[in-house]
Amino acid sequence: MNQSIQTESPNNVSLLISQSRTNTLGNKTGTWRFVRPKYQEKTAPCSNACPLGIDIATVEMFASRKDYQSAFHKLLMENPFPAICGRVCFHPCESACNRQFLDQSVGIHYIERFLGDWGLTSKQSHISYPKLNGAKLGIVGAGPAGLATAYFARCLGYQCDIFEKSDQPGGLLTMGIPSYRLPDQTLQNELQRLNIDGIQFKYKQSISVDQLDAMKQSYDAFFLCCGDAQSISLNISGDAYAIDGLNLLRQIRIHEAPSLEGTIAVIGGGNTAIDVARSLLRMGAHPIIVYRRTRKEMPAHPHEIDAALDEGIALKECLSPIEIQKEADHLQMRLQVMKPGEKTKNGRQTYIPDDNPSETMPINHVVSAIGTEMEIMWQNDQWDLSMSHCRMKNIADIPVFWCGDLTTSEKTVTHALASGKQAVIAFDVLKNKGFDEIHSVCHQCQIGEGPAISFEIYRQGERKQRDNSEIVNFDRINTAYFPSIPALQVNKLSQNDCLNTFDEVVSGFDELQMSEEASRCFNCGICNDCDTCRIFCPEMAIQWDQNSRHILMDYCKGCGICIAECPRDAMNLEVEP
Amino acid sequence: MKQVLEGSHAVSEAVRLARAKVISAYPITPQTHIVEALSEYCADGSMDARFICVESEHSAMASCIGASSAGVRTFTASSSHGLALMHELLHWASGARLPIVMAEVNRALGPGWNIWMDQSDSLSQRDTGWIQLYCETGQEVLDTTLQAYRLAETVNLPVMVVLDAFFLSHTYEPVDIPDQKSVDTFLPSFVPRISLDQQEPNAIGQMAPPAYYMEMRHSIQMAMQAVLPHFIDVEREFNNVFGRTYGPVTPYACDDAEYIFVMAGTSASTCRQAIKTLRDQGHKVGVLKLKMFRPFPYQYIRKNLEKAKKVIVLDRNCSFGAGGIFAQEIRSAMYACKAHPQIFSYISGLGGRDITVDHFFEMLDRTEKSGYPENESVWIGLNP
Repeated sequence: MNQSIQTESPNNVSLLISQSRTNTLGNKTGTWRFVRPKYQEKTAPCSNACPLGIDIATVEMFASRKDYQSAFHKLLMENPFPAICGRVCFHPCESACNRQFLDQSVGIHYIERFLGDWGLTSKQSHISYPKLNGAKLGIVGAGPAGLATAYFARCLGYQCDIFEKSDQPGGLLTMGIPSYRLPDQTLQNELQRLNIDGIQFKYKQSISVDQLDAMKQSYDAFFLCCGDAQSISLNISGDAYAIDGLNLLRQIRIHEAPSLEGTIAVIGGGNTAIDVARSLLRMGAHPIIVYRRTRKEMPAHPHEIDAALDEGIALKECLSPIEIQKEADHLQMRLQVMKPGEKTKNGRQTYIPDDNPSETMPINHVVSAIGTEMEIMWQNDQWDLSMSHCRMKNIADIPVFWCGDLTTSEKTVTHALASGKQAVIAFDVLKNKGFDEIHSVCHQCQIGEGPAISFEIYRQGERKQRDNSEIVNFDRINTAYFPSIPALQVNKLSQNDCLNTFDEVVSGFDELQMSEEASRCFNCGICNDCDTCRIFCPEMAIQWDQNSRHILMDYCKGCGICIAECPRDAMNLEVEP
Repeated sequence: MKQVLEGSHAVSEAVRLARAKVISAYPITPQTHIVEALSEYCADGSMDARFICVESEHSAMASCIGASSAGVRTFTASSSHGLALMHELLHWASGARLPIVMAEVNRALGPGWNIWMDQSDSLSQRDTGWIQLYCETGQEVLDTTLQAYRLAETVNLPVMVVLDAFFLSHTYEPVDIPDQKSVDTFLPSFVPRISLDQQEPNAIGQMAPPAYYMEMRHSIQMAMQAVLPHFIDVEREFNNVFGRTYGPVTPYACDDAEYIFVMAGTSASTCRQAIKTLRDQGHKVGVLKLKMFRPFPYQYIRKNLEKAKKVIVLDRNCSFGAGGIFAQEIRSAMYACKAHPQIFSYISGLGGRDITVDHFFEMLDRTEKSGYPENESVWIGLNP
């Protein structure tokens, strides 16, 4: 305190006020504090929901700033194929997005698709892989799980040989997903990312269990990523007349499909059934999806079902084929009418044959798409290690990992990629730290509630600094900072335009749309440098220098205003130690 | 140049001529016309000032305090409940010794809800450390506002220019509006004795513990005591430039008067009318109009009243439980005289009720017939 007396005045009028020329630095308000703020980044619900645990909040932050390079490389830390996943992933991230409770979820997959495409065309998207470390891995199958295994392993310096029984890479991406969902060019360009020194593709090489022993001299581990290659048969009288759905999709993709016309029954309720039906429509046929339960129970993703129905494809529910008979110029399919039975312990509705007489359906062709299963030789139930997305068994003293559809509960591309990531991390821990460390290391890399694990955390990246187990829910978002803005819509081909083309149905965002949509992201749980904490600090105790904020504890009085104002819960208040 | 002007606009014109730099106000009847005109001047560029719209009178005064602390000439206007809401900050303005000028239009406080003339609002702020100058005509309003800036900036105390609701604020009269050059001669640009300065950072108004506070209060009182001589100087200079003067009090027919009316505001005009008639009838009466209420001009009051037999104080206010506020002040001022006149207190014209010539006749009649003043004020003009 410095009292200043100012009595000198031309008119001699007394003037005495309290005036100080010292500054407030002497007033160490930090001594008042009994709780202290801390920058503590957390997990956004989208990342928690993503099988790959992608750091979506950070990706959107970079994307909103049009910093494509940072956004793209952030994606690549957890996902080798953003342009593919931006198209074919069923984006559980968007179902978990906090923004839906304000207006609508952020269109995360459109942003990922834009960034993935940017990576395919930009020269700045180059990735530098480390030098090879001398160890070599054998990977069976060049589908999503095998490709991801090779990618993540190569990122850790492992040399990889991929054995593929067909003559091209991609697996289900090539064989099972129609080009109207995943254009051929995009797929081929994405696969180029693995066309690097240290990853070798060995085509037309089927590997059996018996061969592994003979190959063990050359490899440090094997990764079985061969998928459920075996289609499940209808197992009814006349099932030989049924065309295999997955095989049909493959033939379409390589332009070797038979000419199919007329009414075609597609049996099944999964994504393959939908893909087959929509492909047949584009070939000029009239597909009818026949499913033994109702639409509600269809395992296909709801928006895929919607897209099929929007294109005019008929769906017949509660019908199960019991016989297919060949007539003169067509097939006669007899169908059992089904009715709801008891619910299973998991609450799933079962369907049982109704007493009503069966129906018959005259059709020109029938396609079976009721699922796939793994080849018998890979079946196993004795494991040395069992994790969410992979399992491991030592065979002839080297570790063999079962990955992808062989082990994952949900058979999607993204789960397969996640499986490759998990298996590589597990192997790397096994090799460098020992078997006993696998579970604890994987747990340290877990995102949110798991099971997704982060490759960035495993590699000691910035993300490791976060409280990754804590998920920021909507009630922790300061919505005062977010006016309601509806999600941007994308263009889709009309019903008529779909009929004769395998062109991509859904258009992506342009640059402006992409950054606008990314700006809608709350960036839950991460600091996006909005500076609100610093602006609101009544003691000016938050300082900005050298591109980071820090709290001057001499002056922070622990009022918590920074935490209350933080729009995205990137700060915590802690009791003084 | 003479113009027919509303009393409110006489204030507005004066503030424009004074080149105030920051005006912050919240509208309230009957003050609104003052700031309405000023906001237009700011908008049309005829005034180079910032008009700050605020959500309350409390904030209006806060804005003025901020601007004045930064060293610029400021203005606000208020009335009644609005002034009451400012109360806390009125103390701050004087304690911080900021030369803020405010126009205060005398209006009653509710309930019952009343927008008309009454002195309760300004007199409730008697002890806030503001200089209070009461006006009678549109010309006096304009002149007093200009003088107020000179005075405030000389003694570093805020000034309240007080005018009657409607009787003055909304009445059109011919007013001589001086030219800018003359005003600039009388009122040069403001050079603050204290202000915030980016080149030499300092904080003002912070804690003053017991070892310091009392001297600061004493300084305010000393400054108040210096107001009267400085006001005389200001008026003299004003007279030199504009040829008009008012004085801290204005006596009329007081020299030989046995009975002297005392009051502030427009009722003095009515009173003079009554005195002409009463003089014709042989009564030795006069009127002393109060212009300055704070500081209270003791010497001027004593000098003008000490020879009278009886003094009749008219209050358009009431300090409930005591009586008319002007009367109390006059009594205490006259107590120091060796042979002081008896002080008779009358209350009339509250909430805008008219005070007529007949009311003055009645007051005189009662005073002549009373041997000694009653303890409490006598109310004149109550409904039967």
